Amino acid sequence: MVTATKDMQLISHLMRRAGFGVGLPELESLAQNGYNETVNRLLKPTNVQEMTDDLIRRYHHEQSGMMGQNNPGAYWLYKMITTTDPLTEKMALFWHGIFATGYPKITQGKVLNDQIRMFRRYGTGNFRTLLLELSKDPAMIVWLDNHDNHDGAINENFGRELLELFSMGVGNYSEQDIKETARAFTGWTIGNTEYMALRAERDSIWPYGRIAWHFEFKEDDHDSGEKEFLGNTGRLNGDEIIDIICQQESTARFISRHMYHFFVADEPPVPQWPYTPPRDPKAIDTLTQAYFDNDYDIRAMLDILFNSEFFKSEDSWHERVKSPAELVAGILRLTGEFDRPRREILDRSTQAIYMGQHLINPPSVEGWHQGTEWIDTGTLVERLNFASQQMSNVENPGVAEIIGRVIGDGSHQADDSLVQRCLDEMGVTSVSEGTRSILENFAAQNRDLENDATQIVAQMLQMVAATHEFQRA
Amino acid sequence: MTSPANAKTVVVIQLSGGNDALNTVIPYNNEHYYDLRPQVNISQDNVLKINDELGFNPSMAPIKRLWDEGNVAVINGIGYPSPNRSHFRSMDVWHTAEPDTISNEGWLGRAIRQIDPDGENVITGVNFGRGLPRALYAKDVPVASVGNLENYGLMTDMKNEAARNLALEAFSQMYGGSGKDTIAQFISQTGLDALKGADILRAAPRQYSSTVEYAHTPIAQNLKSISQVMSADLGTRVFYTQHGSFDTHSGELSAHSKLWQDVSEAVGDFTDDLKEHGQLDDTLILMFSEFGRRIKDNGAGTDHGSGGSAFVIGGAVNGGTYGEFPSLRSEDQIEGDMRFNNDFRITYSTIADRWLGLDPVHIANGTFEQFDFVD
Amino acid sequence: MTTRTRQFMKYSHTIGLSTMSGRGFYYPVDTAIGEDDRLYTVSRSLDGDPRGIRVTIYDLASEYFGTFGESGEDDGQMIWPTGVARDTQGRTFVSDEFTNRITVFDVDGDFSHSWGKMGSGAGELDGPSGVAFDRDQNLLVVDHHNHRVQRYSQNGIFLSEFGSFGSANGELNLPWGITASSKGDIYVADWRNDRIQQFSPDGEYLASFGRSGRDDGELFRPSSVAVDPDGYVYVADWGNERVQIFDPDGGFVQSIRGEATDSKWAEAFLEINLEEAAARDRANMEPEIKFFNDDPHEESSHIEKYFWAPTSLKLDSEGRMYVTESNRHRVQIYDKA
Repeated sequence: MVTATKDMQLISHLMRRAGFGVGLPELESLAQNGYNETVNRLLKPTNVQEMTDDLIRRYHHEQSGMMGQNNPGAYWLYKMITTTDPLTEKMALFWHGIFATGYPKITQGKVLNDQIRMFRRYGTGNFRTLLLELSKDPAMIVWLDNHDNHDGAINENFGRELLELFSMGVGNYSEQDIKETARAFTGWTIGNTEYMALRAERDSIWPYGRIAWHFEFKEDDHDSGEKEFLGNTGRLNGDEIIDIICQQESTARFISRHMYHFFVADEPPVPQWPYTPPRDPKAIDTLTQAYFDNDYDIRAMLDILFNSEFFKSEDSWHERVKSPAELVAGILRLTGEFDRPRREILDRSTQAIYMGQHLINPPSVEGWHQGTEWIDTGTLVERLNFASQQMSNVENPGVAEIIGRVIGDGSHQADDSLVQRCLDEMGVTSVSEGTRSILENFAAQNRDLENDATQIVAQMLQMVAATHEFQRA
Repeated sequence: MTSPANAKTVVVIQLSGGNDALNTVIPYNNEHYYDLRPQVNISQDNVLKINDELGFNPSMAPIKRLWDEGNVAVINGIGYPSPNRSHFRSMDVWHTAEPDTISNEGWLGRAIRQIDPDGENVITGVNFGRGLPRALYAKDVPVASVGNLENYGLMTDMKNEAARNLALEAFSQMYGGSGKDTIAQFISQTGLDALKGADILRAAPRQYSSTVEYAHTPIAQNLKSISQVMSADLGTRVFYTQHGSFDTHSGELSAHSKLWQDVSEAVGDFTDDLKEHGQLDDTLILMFSEFGRRIKDNGAGTDHGSGGSAFVIGGAVNGGTYGEFPSLRSEDQIEGDMRFNNDFRITYSTIADRWLGLDPVHIANGTFEQFDFVD
Repeated sequence: MTTRTRQFMKYSHTIGLSTMSGRGFYYPVDTAIGEDDRLYTVSRSLDGDPRGIRVTIYDLASEYFGTFGESGEDDGQMIWPTGVARDTQGRTFVSDEFTNRITVFDVDGDFSHSWGKMGSGAGELDGPSGVAFDRDQNLLVVDHHNHRVQRYSQNGIFLSEFGSFGSANGELNLPWGITASSKGDIYVADWRNDRIQQFSPDGEYLASFGRSGRDDGELFRPSSVAVDPDGYVYVADWGNERVQIFDPDGGFVQSIRGEATDSKWAEAFLEINLEEAAARDRANMEPEIKFFNDDPHEESSHIEKYFWAPTSLKLDSEGRMYVTESNRHRVQIYDKA
């Protein structure tokens, strides 16, 4: 009987948070390097392998071309389940949740997919660079109407959200600062604004499919006058506004709290932050310090986070509710279904939609509320059924391998070893005594009904998928 | 669990993809119609005339029959200011009743919250189809989304019934405990609610019998499921389903005719069934689409437009036409489309207030006048 | 600007429009030239949308004659259509790399027969992609996940096969398109090996064209190949979003990036949607953009006239070249210069 060591449990926890969870063989291999080296390799991956674009594009023309509303999610799912660099995908999910940009106003998956790719390139780098790229991102520009933000006729939408939702949080700037920010970002628009905006508004695919968007700075539409922003004066342009934003402690705290929320434990929804103190103020202090000590470097903040006691503490294991994307990707990494491009990818990504997370179509500019808000009667049924169906399907190569291993060393023969082994194989490395005894009881009773070894293991995998612990990360 | 006797029920049928209103309710005496629709028109002889001016698409015979019985309100010229011709954005507007900003709460979700503020009945709202339409979403409002009533529930893929019962028992134990923390308690409660809702819903077909033989189309089967849940008297007040795609850019005449044949047959079967069960007077059906289509055809179909027609059907409905049929003269058009003359939230407000007896202001996002299609 | 060295082929016109049914295409993947001078383009549509899948019939003058075929797994239906070929009797053969079948439609576009099932044994298929008739009017099918070419009679009787997985001469790695020259040699777009391979009519390896890269004469994931009577080899260099032409000895002749203009069907759309047409006229359709990588896929997504995902290249008896682009829902046509 395999029982994960403490170090393995800790690595498993890390991989659930920094990645999409690991099965037993991968966990055993990581354990040989130890926790610290696993963190290092997550932060500085080398020789990254994943399903490559040429393969995806050959079979999924829609994931290559204009991309309807469901194809970017399917494309992203391929990356999440095949990459050897899961942290980059996790950070893209992190930023997508904060810089939430949605399909209905863009009506063009390619442009949204371009934004997600931008998160992959810059999401673990310097925060200033990321904000600058975000401000030039065509999907963001149209999402928050910056193409309607003109010299002499400002549209405040982007300026307001940049300060409120993307960096400092409410209460740390004035309405005048918003106006000045908007002025500074006049002229930051997309090329062929009129034609592209018209096509987006009409969802036009004519004549020859969609045309991707590109950033354009229009000098003649930029308000180059004197501005005052947070006590700084000058002929500020957008990049200088971002410089000032990045120097603010409120920015560091806001991003730190988001990181804690995403990687450590659920915080209340963002609108409540001004009124509710952080769950662990010291953790936020630590991350804030890391932000300033390392010149706004996200990777350095993550390094400190993953090595901190507040992250490693057993109190935080299985504490977060998995988002639908995490749940679906984690299961598909276990099942091994996508060894090559398959048509089923669209169905699998649609399952996350049924569970309440339509990637590239968040419910609002605030992104998804996380934690228990992922769970309602409808979505919980979808989560449980999907997990149970996939994990009990012996046609899935990964499931067949798990069953082979469990039967191979006889773990299926005793109730306690069957339960423990299936928990380990599915990356659930700690479980309440209550759950364990219910599973063992099920194992014992099911033996009276079922004598096929494969089915005995498959049904236990199904039951593990239904546990609280598996539904949480 | 059950609602007061004769509680009013609303059934929303979403016609996804942008129904061509002009070939649904046809101004068969209007010369502009035939001028602007040289290829994609319904000839005068074929329309099912409802008055001297307008007639239904020939594939809508069952709805024409309901019209003749006085049970159909046709709302012409329905829409909203600054029409958006994107499927996704426009559908969002209809779902949230919020044309100006991006919002995430649905109008029916808000209605369900008013009907059952404490979420006591986990199936006050039921969607037939996978995934929850935004119209039904509101925070902390439980709504069931059912792909297929016959096998709705947890772990329905477990073939061995005895093993499944064992698994469900283990599930109830895992989710029945007090839980180590508030999150665990919440998940457990939701799990038990889901189990309860699934048990109730799956049992519904067993209590149902009918002489009506529904057509074998997805929309007819979904409406049959709705009728089964209604018969079981489970307190469900809001039902939702959809049919499509009405996005007829080309090959419109045949595609559009097939779509309306399927919808009309299904609605005909459904209303027959409701009549048989004495429920037609307590049921109101709303059919809407996110937008209408361009007045001018493109040779083979029609492109995205604005303005449209909605239908309200039911035994208590005051049949007739509401709103004005938009003028097709070029000076009256809005960028080549029919100009809307009544805000869709007037219809929402009427349904919320007069039919469901709810405070309409919050549901329709504002105060609107109301139509008289229900008293 | 789009040609280098010398102009061998010159742009003629474009046919196409993005539509989910009827006149137009929706993610078209291949085009067959009929003996009746009509063109047969098969559209794959997007996953999750059953509309769009069909064969569209039209001619060089953009006249539209109808469609046949639809989405599904029953007889006469398709899920992932990939290749199309016409025989001398006017029948249409379509490969489907999802259902692992070859479906044959008769001269009226009605279902005639089909064959194929998943597997790696003789005659079995795992991802049939390119199809072409050999000089004996037998059907060559690229069985791409099995890294081989199989030959069948027109009724689907297995005759022979060649090729196996690898990168040595005569070996294949996820091949895609195929053609047979007038003298019977077989050319295969050896997709993952970034080359075109030439085989004798019996499947013996003869020669290889191109090597991996993005420069002139280099290939990146070629999808389709055609050969003219003089032995010139025309390649849809899919991963480089261009067409390249080689002389019979493998020497580089010409590279074409694409020059699409509004088709007649596109003009009809723009005549109805006037605001869109006006905005299009005012737009700069060839903006200068700095891209974050060297993948021309990016440039093609921004500049509409360039080839974007050229999945098929065919030549007619007059030497005209037809390039089907799945991401642009059109066929660009070029004449001999």
